[in-house]
Amino acid sequence: MKSILSRTFGGITTVIGVSVITFVFLRALPGNPARLMVGSLASPHTVALERQAMGLDHPLYVQYWDFVEGIVRGNWGFSYSAGEPVRSLFASRLPASIELGLAAFIFAVGGSLVLALAVTYRPRRLLDRVVRGLAFLGTGTPAFWFGLVGLLVFSVWLNVLPGPEGRLAPSVIPPPDVTGLYVIDTAIAGQFRTMWDALVHLVLPAVTLGLFPLAYLTRLLRVNLLDVSRRNFLTVARSKGLGRWAAFYRHALPNASLPMLTACGLIFGELIGGSVVVEKVFDWPGIGNLVANAVLQQDYSVVEIYVVLSALAYVVINVVVDMLYGVLDPRVRIPTQSSL
Amino acid sequence: MLSCAAAVLVLMVLLALFGDVVWHQNPLTVNLAAALNSPSLAHPFGTDSLGRDVFARFNDGARISLLTGFTVVLCATVIGTMVGVFAGMRGGLLDGILMRLMDALLAFPPLILAMLVTVGLGVGLVTSTLGITLAAVPYYARLVRAEVLQVRSSPLIEATVALGSTEGRVIYRHLLPGLTSILLVQGSALLGSSILTLAALGFIGLGAQVPSPEWGSMITDGLQYALTGQWWISLFPGLGVLVTATAAGVFADRLRDRLDPRFVPMDVREMVTAAR
Repeated sequence: MKSILSRTFGGITTVIGVSVITFVFLRALPGNPARLMVGSLASPHTVALERQAMGLDHPLYVQYWDFVEGIVRGNWGFSYSAGEPVRSLFASRLPASIELGLAAFIFAVGGSLVLALAVTYRPRRLLDRVVRGLAFLGTGTPAFWFGLVGLLVFSVWLNVLPGPEGRLAPSVIPPPDVTGLYVIDTAIAGQFRTMWDALVHLVLPAVTLGLFPLAYLTRLLRVNLLDVSRRNFLTVARSKGLGRWAAFYRHALPNASLPMLTACGLIFGELIGGSVVVEKVFDWPGIGNLVANAVLQQDYSVVEIYVVLSALAYVVINVVVDMLYGVLDPRVRIPTQSSL
Repeated sequence: MLSCAAAVLVLMVLLALFGDVVWHQNPLTVNLAAALNSPSLAHPFGTDSLGRDVFARFNDGARISLLTGFTVVLCATVIGTMVGVFAGMRGGLLDGILMRLMDALLAFPPLILAMLVTVGLGVGLVTSTLGITLAAVPYYARLVRAEVLQVRSSPLIEATVALGSTEGRVIYRHLLPGLTSILLVQGSALLGSSILTLAALGFIGLGAQVPSPEWGSMITDGLQYALTGQWWISLFPGLGVLVTATAAGVFADRLRDRLDPRFVPMDVREMVTAAR
């Protein structure tokens, strides 16, 4: 209980730090923060109005307080390029990012399980080297470029996957909105042709977005599995007659997956929040693409909220994952000498 | 593998330094008559939509990427080490505040922190470098601080202090030498990830500005042409990023195996989010 409290406290101080850093870079340091928020095309009158609305004539600590209060109350400013409040923009773009992020997450976790299992279940030296090499390549590849090459190969040359046209082909009508995730909504509505179209549009973006996490998780899980499989309890389990698969599935995998939890939690949070670069390549109508366009149009009120939210998500996920450890692994619950 | 990765990195550095000596075309010369030419002997990597030679731009891009990468590594190492040593040696309230600040910096994905800095201070290569550095400093600070705390409590240090060593001498003679191997490993891992982050920044338009041939912005230049068949404009700069970043990653991994097998350089977050 005490550890939960202290972790939450640590999270809160980090959140305060995050808000201070964002405030410094977007409000305190720029020459004219109001200009930053309304854009370079706005008239001097609009800038003056925004100056007043942002309270730039107040002392810095009052400005900081207003800044934090605005974010907490959901008063996230107005995007002049979209002509809409930032909050409703984010709300309407969130489902697309969640759908893509979930697909990429499933791809990355599933793929890393298969790859790590393939190289550790029985020792295969050649395959192991290939997988390790690919994992290195995966962490060194710029995701947006990989997506572009994927489009070139599978859409332009082989013509088996659609081009960068978002979530559905332009002629296809979106399913009735229930969850916002097209693959699920089409299943609910029974529109299986639309579902197929949504799936086909999801493949390349999800693989592109999941490539980095896949490579990282494979490296992590491979090392953990090798480490666990050398432990005595596995030798005991095997010598008592437990089959290779059962020993792996019941004993090696759960122990090897525990250290993956932090990585998976953070990756999940990252992926759900939408990727600026990958969504830009595929013209995916999610939050990342919104931010990419806002950057090009110098519509920085959108960028400000995105920055704050992604840092907040990280803090929250970190705290939640820490607590999950306590549930999954009883050893973490009791503070031992070494953990202090 | 270590020497292999090192060779690739050296090759890239040579290309960045002497690329324009060997290849005489100007990366900025516009020649609309030769726009969108596919790779040939005259233009090994083809030409872009303004007829500029992609190979010359590639070489220049290598210079920008590597220069930024090494600057980031150097600055982050110096600043991070200073913060870590300071926090670790002083302790107390200042240590707490500094490390909380580092935690807060860690909460931003590197690309997004760099976005924040470039948007706030003005878009360009210098602010991007600053942003990427700022994202890397906390890793060094944490690493060094942990090392400082460990060394400071060792009997050896107690003995040297009892014999009259000053704080500066302890840092300089006993602490920093022990840090070199982990700083080297961390630095080469950071080189790869900061090149990736710079390319991502350039790709969304926050890095080096036109007409500067930065690899990420070159990929953006070719984006609309790639799908109509002119694949070479985007392909080669992307390959440049891939080869350099992968070589740096492999180099860091192998170097760690040689120097300090128990050290884990990057945080999960750095690895996963560098190029997002």
